[in-house]
Amino acid sequence: MSGSRVDMKIVLLGKEFGGKTSLVERFLHDRFHGEAPYQATIGAAFGAKRIEVVGKSLILGIWDTAGSERYEAMSRIYYRGAKAAIVCYDMTDSESFARVCFWVKELRNNEENCKIYLCGTKKDLVDENKNNRKVDYHMVTDYADEIRAKVFETSAKTGENIRNLFLKIAEDYTMDPVNKQQQEKDTLNLQEPTKKKRCC
Amino acid sequence: MSQGHKRFHINEQELLCKNGCGFYGNPAWQGFCSKCWREEYQKAKNAQLQIDEQNKMMKQKTPVGAEGKAPSFSKFEEKKKRESDKRTHTVKSLFRKSSSKDIAAEQVAKREAMKRLSSESQQVGEGFADFLRNLSKPAALDVSKHIRALIEKIQQNPDVTVDEHSEIIQDFYQSMGDRLQTHPVYKGLTHTTSDKLMDYMEKYIMTRLYRAVFCSMWSDDEEQDLIIQKRIRSLHWVSEQNLEASISVNEPSVRALVDSAITDIIEMDSKRAPQDKLASVVRCSNHIFEALKASQNNEPASADDFLPALIYIVLQANPPRLQSNIKYITRFSNPSRLMSGEAGYYFTNLCCVVAFIENLNAESLNMTPEEFEGYMSGKLVPRDSKEGHICEGLRLMYQNLANLSELRQRHEKVMAEAMQLQQEIVEFKENFKKEIQSVLTKNPWTIKPRKTKVDLDAESPATDMLPPPLIPQIVGEPMVVQHDQSNANSTDMTTEPHVTVTDTAVEE
Ligand SMILES: Nc1nc2c(ncn2[C@@H]2O[C@H](COP(=O)(O)OP(=O)(O)O)[C@@H](O)[C@H]2O)c(=O)[nH]1
Ligand SMILES: [Mg+2]
Ligand SMILES: [Zn+2]
Repeated sequence: MSGSRVDMKIVLLGKEFGGKTSLVERFLHDRFHGEAPYQATIGAAFGAKRIEVVGKSLILGIWDTAGSERYEAMSRIYYRGAKAAIVCYDMTDSESFARVCFWVKELRNNEENCKIYLCGTKKDLVDENKNNRKVDYHMVTDYADEIRAKVFETSAKTGENIRNLFLKIAEDYTMDPVNKQQQEKDTLNLQEPTKKKRCC
Repeated sequence: MSQGHKRFHINEQELLCKNGCGFYGNPAWQGFCSKCWREEYQKAKNAQLQIDEQNKMMKQKTPVGAEGKAPSFSKFEEKKKRESDKRTHTVKSLFRKSSSKDIAAEQVAKREAMKRLSSESQQVGEGFADFLRNLSKPAALDVSKHIRALIEKIQQNPDVTVDEHSEIIQDFYQSMGDRLQTHPVYKGLTHTTSDKLMDYMEKYIMTRLYRAVFCSMWSDDEEQDLIIQKRIRSLHWVSEQNLEASISVNEPSVRALVDSAITDIIEMDSKRAPQDKLASVVRCSNHIFEALKASQNNEPASADDFLPALIYIVLQANPPRLQSNIKYITRFSNPSRLMSGEAGYYFTNLCCVVAFIENLNAESLNMTPEEFEGYMSGKLVPRDSKEGHICEGLRLMYQNLANLSELRQRHEKVMAEAMQLQQEIVEFKENFKKEIQSVLTKNPWTIKPRKTKVDLDAESPATDMLPPPLIPQIVGEPMVVQHDQSNANSTDMTTEPHVTVTDTAVEE
């Protein structure tokens, strides 16, 4: 897992306690909040995971970040070069969605090649009791259309929609003409290395 | 002698400027820091100017340079301008032009630096050569050709700015990466092999060029190093609680991991290749995760725990030449390593830590500005020491005492074993003697004298009658002939005739 090549950098952003770490835990290790027996991992802040999408195999590098506001000023260092950002908000906390707008603005201003995915978390709590929902789904999708982002409502507890989120990210990455070109170059060259002759 | 501090290779003194100004020195500047080196150079330049002036006075006929400078200097400057418009050229090259004594001394120092460099480069070079042997010959040749060209290019332009060096190296990674995928000599190379090849190239190139490009004289990295170093020193009072880092540093098992993490991050400076420096960062991070896990009932730590802990470790370690190392990695590492992988993640965290430390204020530690100022000015003493915890010195002392008693036990054990060994040796000797004695009594031997060569003529009274010096010649020659015919063996025979004898014997 470590040290191996990674095809794409995905960074998680969002308010502290918004559910970023839980989301990563669920995706990487398929467990929630210490429920499953611990594997050998000593911790999770970075994780690499292979994913198969449209007949291709991609290795995702997933970057969790410290959410505390005291580190917000340095966040730009984190998302530099990311191909995708998962901006998390807690569906049971309206304030957390306000932070989403901050991150989106940051990303749009500094990292135009980074695709944005809005991710509502703790869906299980909302499903349990409708009154827990503090962030309206349609309001979010309207906002997402405006900034050309996609929305996923997930639960790290049940695992709902989390794999879909990462599959979508991987798929978008492979379908993106820029990345596609890069990949095709790789595979083509493996088969026909004589195609180009150039000296550097 | 805490656990972690045993492994340091370099002591701080060796890193510092020869002038004792507190900056770090650099072998490329003969152990001076860039500031003192520039001053030294100025002195040399002035001395040169004076000599030139004197020469001018003496000769009078030499025309004065355009800028009113001594002729040799202005001529030199013109030449430099022709070579390149870089202002930086003149300074360094001029210093070489100073006095012949300086030149000699500098050359010695340079040769020594080269020697030291080559031992490290050689090691990497050997590993690289081994790896290249697995490739096809044309591929290996192509790789070495390009690497040689690159290294020459950089070494022949030692005075260009570090950013230009960075650009050259980055271009090289890019073009070699493309080349591995497109050029026919690399046909059939697997992804893993080409990745490894890129790795080796980076490691070899950067080990070779380290002295030339690390902490460049023409950058302000060094001043930045000193600024962050002072800053960290002024923040010595910041505790893990201030940072809300969930590390129980007073727990002995955790403490050992913390010490290891501190050692790792300090060791980054002693590595040359970017990936080796990064490996130190990764090792440090892994130790931090272990420390966090041990502090939280074996609950795996997350990013929220990790960053504050890394800040704490960096504050404790005050790693040498922190900014230079970070800039070096940024400039010269293969970018794919920094952008996505695990090493990239931890390195990014390290960059964040530096940014955090630079901007650290009362708010970032959740305290009032007055409190913060109090600590900074030393009026307030960290809460930590007032509480029940033992202080660092005592902790070290206890640990050392424990280490010493363990050492004594081990020493005693070794001594006991040595005594036993001695006893066994004695017994063995005795038994051996006894056994031989018993064998001898069972089978009595009569020891016959060894057969020795006998000179048949030696005791013959007739020999006395002959004239002594002539005896061997007269008797010897006919004897050889005689042996040839008779096939008889004789003590007196020389080897050559013997060979002839056997030869003929075979033929017969
Ligand atoms: N019920 C429920 N709780 C969640 C979910 N995701 C996170 N949490 C809880 O929310 C809190 C904060 O989550 P965490 O992942 O640490 O957030 P982070 O600060 O953004 O990394 C933790 O107590 C989690 O157990 C979820 O999907 N369902
Ligand atoms: Mg978290
Ligand atoms: Zn100095």
